[in-house]
Amino acid sequence: MSRFRLANIVLYGVLSLWSIFVLLPLLWMVLASFKTRREIFTNPLGLPGTLNFDSFARAWRVGVPQFMINSAIVTVLSVALIVFAAGMAAYVLARAESRWMQAIYLLLVAGFAVPPTAVLVPLFQMVSAAGFLNSHLAIVLPYAAYGIPFTTVLFYAFFLDFPRELEDAARLDGCNQLQVLFLVIVPLSGPAVASAAIFQAVFIWNEFPLALLMLTQPEMKTLPVGILQLQGTYASDWPAVMAGLAVATLPILAVFVFSQKYFVRSLAGLGK
Amino acid sequence: MLQQQALDIPAGATELRSAAARRGIGQPLTSALMLAPALLLCGVFIFVPASLAIVGSFFSFGLTSQAWVWNGVGNYAEALADPIFWLALRNNVIIVLGSIVLQVGMGTVLAAILDRGIPSGRTFFRTIIFAPMVISAVAVALIWLIILDPNIGMLNSIVKAIGLTPPSRGWLGDPSVSIWMVLVVAAWQYTGFMMVLILAGLQGIPNDLYEAASIDGARGLTAFWHITLPSIRNVLLVAVLITTIGGFKVFDFIYVLTQGGPANATQVLGTYVYLQAFNLQNMGYANAIAVVLLAIAVVLGWLQLKASRRAS
Amino acid sequence: MMRLASNLLRYGLSGATVLALGCGAAHAVDIKMWNLVVEGYPEFIEYAKAEYKKTHPDVNIVYETFPNEAYKTTIQVALTGSAPPDVFFNWAGEDSARLIRDGLALDITEYANKDGGFAKVLSPSWLAAFTYNGKLYGMPTEAVSKYFYYNKAFFAEHNLSLPTDFDGLLKLCRDIRAIDPSMTPWPLGNSERWKLNHVITMLNNRILGSAATADDYALKAPDDKLFTNPGYVEAWQKVLDLKAAGCFQDAPNATSPEASRSMFASEVSPLIYCGTWCVNIFFTEGFKDFAMFRMPPIKGGKGDPNANFLVPQGFQVSSKTQHAAEAVEWMSFLTSDAVAAKFAELTKAIPSNPAQIEKVPDTSEQYRWIVKDVASFSEPVNVLDVLLEASVSNAYLDAGVEVLNGTKTPEQAMEFIRATALAAKKKM
Repeated sequence: MSRFRLANIVLYGVLSLWSIFVLLPLLWMVLASFKTRREIFTNPLGLPGTLNFDSFARAWRVGVPQFMINSAIVTVLSVALIVFAAGMAAYVLARAESRWMQAIYLLLVAGFAVPPTAVLVPLFQMVSAAGFLNSHLAIVLPYAAYGIPFTTVLFYAFFLDFPRELEDAARLDGCNQLQVLFLVIVPLSGPAVASAAIFQAVFIWNEFPLALLMLTQPEMKTLPVGILQLQGTYASDWPAVMAGLAVATLPILAVFVFSQKYFVRSLAGLGK
Repeated sequence: MLQQQALDIPAGATELRSAAARRGIGQPLTSALMLAPALLLCGVFIFVPASLAIVGSFFSFGLTSQAWVWNGVGNYAEALADPIFWLALRNNVIIVLGSIVLQVGMGTVLAAILDRGIPSGRTFFRTIIFAPMVISAVAVALIWLIILDPNIGMLNSIVKAIGLTPPSRGWLGDPSVSIWMVLVVAAWQYTGFMMVLILAGLQGIPNDLYEAASIDGARGLTAFWHITLPSIRNVLLVAVLITTIGGFKVFDFIYVLTQGGPANATQVLGTYVYLQAFNLQNMGYANAIAVVLLAIAVVLGWLQLKASRRAS
Repeated sequence: MMRLASNLLRYGLSGATVLALGCGAAHAVDIKMWNLVVEGYPEFIEYAKAEYKKTHPDVNIVYETFPNEAYKTTIQVALTGSAPPDVFFNWAGEDSARLIRDGLALDITEYANKDGGFAKVLSPSWLAAFTYNGKLYGMPTEAVSKYFYYNKAFFAEHNLSLPTDFDGLLKLCRDIRAIDPSMTPWPLGNSERWKLNHVITMLNNRILGSAATADDYALKAPDDKLFTNPGYVEAWQKVLDLKAAGCFQDAPNATSPEASRSMFASEVSPLIYCGTWCVNIFFTEGFKDFAMFRMPPIKGGKGDPNANFLVPQGFQVSSKTQHAAEAVEWMSFLTSDAVAAKFAELTKAIPSNPAQIEKVPDTSEQYRWIVKDVASFSEPVNVLDVLLEASVSNAYLDAGVEVLNGTKTPEQAMEFIRATALAAKKKM
């Protein structure tokens, strides 16, 4: 009986230790955003003297709201494009039997292996030559491209398992492929779409190297790049930097906590 | 359940069904149109730049210079002779191996505990441990920059409180310590991801296996070793491969934490490409390094594909 | 009748000409201007924009700022792209020279010499900063220098005197450590590598003098002589002497420049080697009771003891701009007499147009001291990370990190720099 309890304590202990490891930096970030500059240097570990919100005001002024709006626009557009393109492609590939189609599938998946940083330079030169640097398009299209391979794999597996009877029935009724996909399958694919969308959304929301190069105008910057600017603008103003980080991180944390079911589901799909 | 909702298909319609199916797939135009957006986007933004990088790796040119000068395999020869290239590659390997041990290893332990080790609180712990995944790598690095700060950082205070001495050159300023700190920060963010991935695999193991083993007297750690681990072999494989690919692609953390320093001690292929391209104006050389990175990533991606197909 | 006809014709023609030239009031021009994040500049630009609007209502200035480290990359990337800024900040030296060589910076000699152009206002020695092959490629707005800043109250309280030579500086560090062993005399924020680079720039100059370093820095010295002068090694050794005297904190390579400045401004440390831009920063952090002294001369050094760190910086025009004339007109306005006083007052920088300095109200005593002191430099010393070719500059920056960490000896550092310089020279 006591051996059982001891094992339990050890296991809970391990979980708790790791959880503390996870939470401490975040806690420090929030506390620091309420401190004054001097307090950070003279009393780094202690509680702030008073709860002052000045640092939040300063961070807000640098443009955090604008960065968040940009990130939101870019994320929504990219994810929509990814789900749309990958969904259609995965459906065709999942139902196809020819060798060509298999080759195309492999090609798309090979795209997953290409790290954006490896092709940063030519990618930048292409976008620059085409003349749409510093536009939302400059970043939405590449993000969509880099998100398609992974999402195609996800949908591919899902569609492979999808029972064909419904499609056949629809086709007997005279629907073509496109109609079958959008009228029959998509309405029933809620969880898969949601999982794929959320996973890609988080990745895009946090993407950094491409955004750093393509979006140099302050009003176009996405959140990760904007945060880095925050560190330059208020270089020694750590409270404002921490406040900015808090404002940048907390919304997405909240979204995660509420939608984690889908999140976990999409990851479970990876294991297949 | 979906089948129960399906329309009533009369018997004998099977032949019709397969004929219809064959006819359906044979609509090449619709298929092509449906594939087009994905192929177009990937073609333009992934494959064309990749090809440009490969072509560019045979030339010498700067970011702002007007002319490309042919250099044959000169850039690759330079890479082979460049100690920093090998250092970067070595650092990537260290990050990959370290990440596998830390993230996949610890992730497995945490997942196992969550799966069968504790009676309640599963969602609570899972949420906390996974949370860092949704934070931008830049934000993570900035937060940790202060925590590791030698003058006001939390880590120094904690280490001193335990009675040890922190490195005198700073956690990120000491070349022999800095790369391990990168691993710690990466583990902080990604272990939750691995944990959830493996947990999904664990939850697929049927209980009967454990019950049967329990009757034979094997439980706890023995059960873990002989039943759990073999059953999630494929999930573990995928986890290892994702971590490996990620370890080679890494850029954000290092760029913000150390910029590759101190004196290239944490330089990795991703940041070295950036340094060569934008600071040192050696675009051709940067492309060559990028092509190496590309080749590694493609091989790993192909391995992952084979592994996940075998698993399904 | 004829008169009416000819008048109509005349007005008609001139009207048509005006329309054709597009000089109508409806024709707005956007000038995009990029600058670093600098204390005081945004306020000055707002003021200048308002004044400029009075005489140029159809010119719209779009002002954008960037943090220091990222700027070097983003400006190159932008200039090669399709939508570069019209006017952009740059340091004089290799940074601007490279852009000129690659054809990305516009030759503005003609525009600058028009009436109201800055070439008519600034002295030849300032203009030289952005002159290449006899042509003007930029406008200097100010120069930055570096000084030792010290906490007056602390020095007075402990009877510390200002060092007159380098050994005196070492003694100062030891004395401060003796007063309080846990206090860092001189926090060195070298996490971005350039802080120590600035120190080495001055040490090189104090020990070797400008003449001996010129050919090495320009990679013009013959191969067997390139960077072989033992003075370079001696400069690195002096850094180690400073370290041994306890000047720095333990982890300079892990301390950011901002953190080191905060340590001085929070009075946690009594001394710092900082740029003239730091005056504003300390004031903003609430610390005003400080004064400055120059990098002391080194006994036996061949450098001119009255030479000092001075890096001109200013603005260049992109060669892709559609509004060259308007851009240069705007730039010239920024250094014109009309706004020179406000420039000095708001940015507290050392201006290229010193005409109105006396009229600046409420300048701090530190600012007045700096302006006077800079005017008495015998020659300017430009900083290595702006002056040197990219890979050699990178080598010097990394060498600094390694010498501080003890992973390279001064001799090894110079071997490494020499090898990089030889490789770079071969590529030229």
